[in-house]
Amino acid sequence: MIYPGSKTILEVRGLCASVSGTEILKGLDLTVKSGEVHAIMGPNGSGKSTFSKVLAGHSAYQVTAGSVLLEGKNLLDLPPEERARAGVFLAFQYPIEIPGVANSQFLRLTYNTVQTQRGKEELDPLEFDDFVREKMKLLEMSPDFLDRSVNEGFSGGEKKRNEILQMALLEPRLAILDETDSGLDIDALRIVSQGVNKLANKDNAMVLVTHYQRLLNYIVPDFVHVMDDGRIVKTGGKELALELEARGYDWVGAKHRGAAPKVVAKVAA
Amino acid sequence: MSAVLQNLVNQPYKHGFVTDIESDVAPKGLSEDTIRMISAKKNEPEWLLEFRLKAYQQWLKMTEPTWPNVKYPKIDFQAISYYAAPKQKPKLKSMDEVDPELLRTFEKLGVPMHERAVLAGVAVDVIFDSVSVATTYKHKLAEVGIIFGSFSEAVHEHPELVKKYLGTVVPVGDNYYAALNSAVFTDGSFCFIPKGVKCPMDLSTYFRINTQESGQFERTLIIAEEGASVSYLEGCTAPRFDTNQLHAAVVELIALDNADIKYSTVQNWYAGDENGIGGIFNFVTKRGLAKGVNSRISWTQVETGSAITWKYPSVVLQGENSVGEFYSVAVTNHHQQADTGTKMIHLGKNTRSTIVSKGISAGHSNNSYRGLVKIAPTAAGARNYSQCDSMLIGDQSGAHTFPYIQVRNNSAKVEHEASTSKIGEDQLFYFAQRGIDAEAAVSMIINGFCKDVFQQLPLEFAVEASNLLSFKLEGSIG
Amino acid sequence: MSAVTPVTATYLESLLAGQAQLAASPLAWLNTLRAAAVERVGVLTVPTLRDEDWRFTDISLLTKMSFHPLRTAINLQAADIERFHIAEAATRLVFVDGVFAPQLSNIDINSGVLVSNLAAGGAACAAHLGRHAEFHNNVFAALNTAFLHDGALIVVPRNISVATPIHLLFIATQKDVASYPRCLLLAESGSAVTLIEDYVALQEEAYFTNAVTEIVLADSARVNHVRVQREGAQGFHIANCAVSLARTSNYQSVSVALGARISRYNLNVQMAEGAECAVDGLALISERQLADTHTCIDHAQPHGVSRQLHKCIVGGSAHAVFNGKIMVRQGAQHTDSQQSSRTLLLTGRAQIDTKPQLEIFADDVKCTHGATVGQLDSEEVFYLQSRGLSDTAARNMLTYAFGAEIIDRIPITSLKQQLEQTVLEQTASQL
Repeated sequence: MIYPGSKTILEVRGLCASVSGTEILKGLDLTVKSGEVHAIMGPNGSGKSTFSKVLAGHSAYQVTAGSVLLEGKNLLDLPPEERARAGVFLAFQYPIEIPGVANSQFLRLTYNTVQTQRGKEELDPLEFDDFVREKMKLLEMSPDFLDRSVNEGFSGGEKKRNEILQMALLEPRLAILDETDSGLDIDALRIVSQGVNKLANKDNAMVLVTHYQRLLNYIVPDFVHVMDDGRIVKTGGKELALELEARGYDWVGAKHRGAAPKVVAKVAA
Repeated sequence: MSAVLQNLVNQPYKHGFVTDIESDVAPKGLSEDTIRMISAKKNEPEWLLEFRLKAYQQWLKMTEPTWPNVKYPKIDFQAISYYAAPKQKPKLKSMDEVDPELLRTFEKLGVPMHERAVLAGVAVDVIFDSVSVATTYKHKLAEVGIIFGSFSEAVHEHPELVKKYLGTVVPVGDNYYAALNSAVFTDGSFCFIPKGVKCPMDLSTYFRINTQESGQFERTLIIAEEGASVSYLEGCTAPRFDTNQLHAAVVELIALDNADIKYSTVQNWYAGDENGIGGIFNFVTKRGLAKGVNSRISWTQVETGSAITWKYPSVVLQGENSVGEFYSVAVTNHHQQADTGTKMIHLGKNTRSTIVSKGISAGHSNNSYRGLVKIAPTAAGARNYSQCDSMLIGDQSGAHTFPYIQVRNNSAKVEHEASTSKIGEDQLFYFAQRGIDAEAAVSMIINGFCKDVFQQLPLEFAVEASNLLSFKLEGSIG
Repeated sequence: MSAVTPVTATYLESLLAGQAQLAASPLAWLNTLRAAAVERVGVLTVPTLRDEDWRFTDISLLTKMSFHPLRTAINLQAADIERFHIAEAATRLVFVDGVFAPQLSNIDINSGVLVSNLAAGGAACAAHLGRHAEFHNNVFAALNTAFLHDGALIVVPRNISVATPIHLLFIATQKDVASYPRCLLLAESGSAVTLIEDYVALQEEAYFTNAVTEIVLADSARVNHVRVQREGAQGFHIANCAVSLARTSNYQSVSVALGARISRYNLNVQMAEGAECAVDGLALISERQLADTHTCIDHAQPHGVSRQLHKCIVGGSAHAVFNGKIMVRQGAQHTDSQQSSRTLLLTGRAQIDTKPQLEIFADDVKCTHGATVGQLDSEEVFYLQSRGLSDTAARNMLTYAFGAEIIDRIPITSLKQQLEQTVLEQTASQL
């Protein structure tokens, strides 16, 4: 939701990044204020996932130009764990499986690490157990998730719910949801979206990275950005998503690149 | 990212100090005279001297095994001293008479030699170089008929038991190093749990090599009579020397009807430095005979030390319905080499065995699992399940799996699975994105990887093992 | 011990006996190659159970017998071998006791592929023959190379895809003869071909087949290799096959071992970057047969993918051996390798020694292997019985299905049907 006079959470200016020498982001600008929900859409290969990984600090991506500020602080100087502790949360498109490490153990360590950073009390295993079970209800997760190894053998929907559960525990300032809808059936999509909606408030911000409009029926964005060739080429309100759904991505990209109108147009004429 | 991992895996050895204590060290070299000297020093009966000499004659005819996946320079068996003992009064009346320097050594190593020590509830036999220097809780155990103490004492106090069982599981000529041990063994632990007795506390032996030129050749014999049970723990450390010391032990376990022996090892001998200089050659023969019906022998080992480990704790499943288990974590770093695993020899009907092996290789090390599951024609209905997982850290190390499966009975069922996993960039990034730094992430992943084995260890040991691994593979020095 | 050596030497000498009578080839390099191999035979010894690679395979039966090179070739008629024809194969090369039989062979000149007898091969093979199948430490490969004369040479030119399979038929007709089948397949870049290696016999007495096959895949080449060993019941079959895969090439192989008193198949696959292979095998043996398969898949470069499923169905008092080594060398990152060994023991006297073996020197790899040994699952048998099948019928069906999983992977319909029939007959006769 847009709140008048709200603070800027994320400020991206002229961001360029490459992976093993290939430039993927080519001057990306984005401003996100607290309380807002932004959707970044675009065709495959437009750089959406790269952008989310760059924000989280994945070492495979080199930032070659531009700046990223989180609440005025330079994010690019920080290693990934410091960014997480500063309030950046990335819900992975493909969450990693960690055999042998119990989910409960992992969740508690990550929760306590971030709490300590914020000058708050750690929870002991019993307190944490009560706390996490409460949060799990939000996502309709069964308690046996706690005893299983992190993401190991989870279905696609279970993995995504586990990601949102972590988001609920860590209470980030900026949550980036990378293709969170991919691989979800309609029930899982509804549960995950409800969870996200409950977590959104006036002090945090969400960036949804998605290829399809489907997720946006459940999580209504304040802004929709279209990415193409490493840049945001069009920004609009939630109706832009519907237009993209109806017309595809070609018309946006085509306009941007100044290419000739499509053959289809001729036929129509 | 690999630099982070490099830093995490390169930690110093904390048990590397030498105790300055006056020792009685035999001249180097091995001959019949050396063996007679050892036997005389220990005032042994004639039959034991004969046992040794017979083993020596066999050893002379044998050659060193070359099949393990390890490389090392030829050992000069004449350059080793086969006997070293701290000088002290021949008979100790109480712990207070133990040399204070020795007490300090073991305190530093965290081994409780006082019965009122923190780790009360564990009876400890302490072996320093070639001899046993102290055994705690001896009298309390004697009250329920348990014999626990040094092997040398047992030879004098219970010769009939030693004579009856010695060499019955590992014959003198079993293999090159077992033959050598049988000829020159100096001391070790002896444990006898009589019929129907459940040992009221964990028994433990702590081995310390201190002398630079000596080898350690201990002998352990554990017998659990019908319906008896015992949990036995073993720990090992050695000082940091730039030469290699030879450790060639033999452990024999015998479980009669319905008996249960659980044998746990945390092996942390000095592993050599980051260039592979120094360290213990750990060539050990451990074998259990599950002789009785429904008997059970379980080996759990956490192997982190030694320059070279060559060790296959095995179970011969002779009794009907007997059970053999092997749980192992072997960690190698720098230039360490480990070739370890187990043998499960199924002879009896409906015998069952489980093998869980976890190998972690870092640095330039090589870590091999070698296992044999053999189902004899007599072992109808036998079952084996094996799982061997490897984890590699960095691309300079090697992980190898050599499972031999030999089945001679078609009603048997054998299953083996192996996989590799890793600690890589993607795993660490996932943890980092949740605010967890690389060190904590590595510790968590490793402990998760080894969980199935750690769960088998008695509680105190599980904590020690987990710390040891964290210590070896991450930054925080314990 | 000391008594073994002279016996061994004599045995190898006796095998080499006819070698000197072999006519010198006009090709100088071929003569040099033979001479080098003869020299190795002089140095090497016959493997025994003391050699790790032969630990479970007792070939003393073979070494007790004496075999000689072919003296007089038998003149077979087309009708004699008709039953071995594979309908789909337009090209067929027939070798009788190791000697090329042009009158029985048929070469499809329209296929775009060069197929000829090795002896007439010339320059194309000079760079490859004997370069892939190592004979320095392998006495049987050395013996084969020492007798190098006839053999199959197949060169598939660049980007040519051969529509029909090429059938190599090796027929044993005479007792006490040692024959040395040889095959060299060169698949140039982007080419595709299916090769059938087929070993059969027209007699039931003892003989010795000692074969060597070399298969070389250039970049992006595809080779389907089907190997059927259906030697006579008293035959001895020892074969070495070396496959070399260049970048992104693809090798699929199915080998089926049914015959021979004692058989041993060594398959070595060298994998370059991005290469893929699937190496599957089935040994179906009974009575007192011994069938040993040793494979090594060597991932020397990154991004290789290998899949292996090896099955043994062992009846009577037969003995199956499998040793499957997967090697992942340093730098072969992103290797993806899966291996599985499954054995069905049909009788109380059947034996299996299996060793799936992983040797890994790279950290970012995905390797798994598994092995199972057992009899038919009693739950499955019960399920079929509960649907009205007799115990025997249920067991037959399950045993057949166990073997059929491998046979199904053969891409040649008529051969597949033939082999399925064999499996069906053999499993029925066992139970």
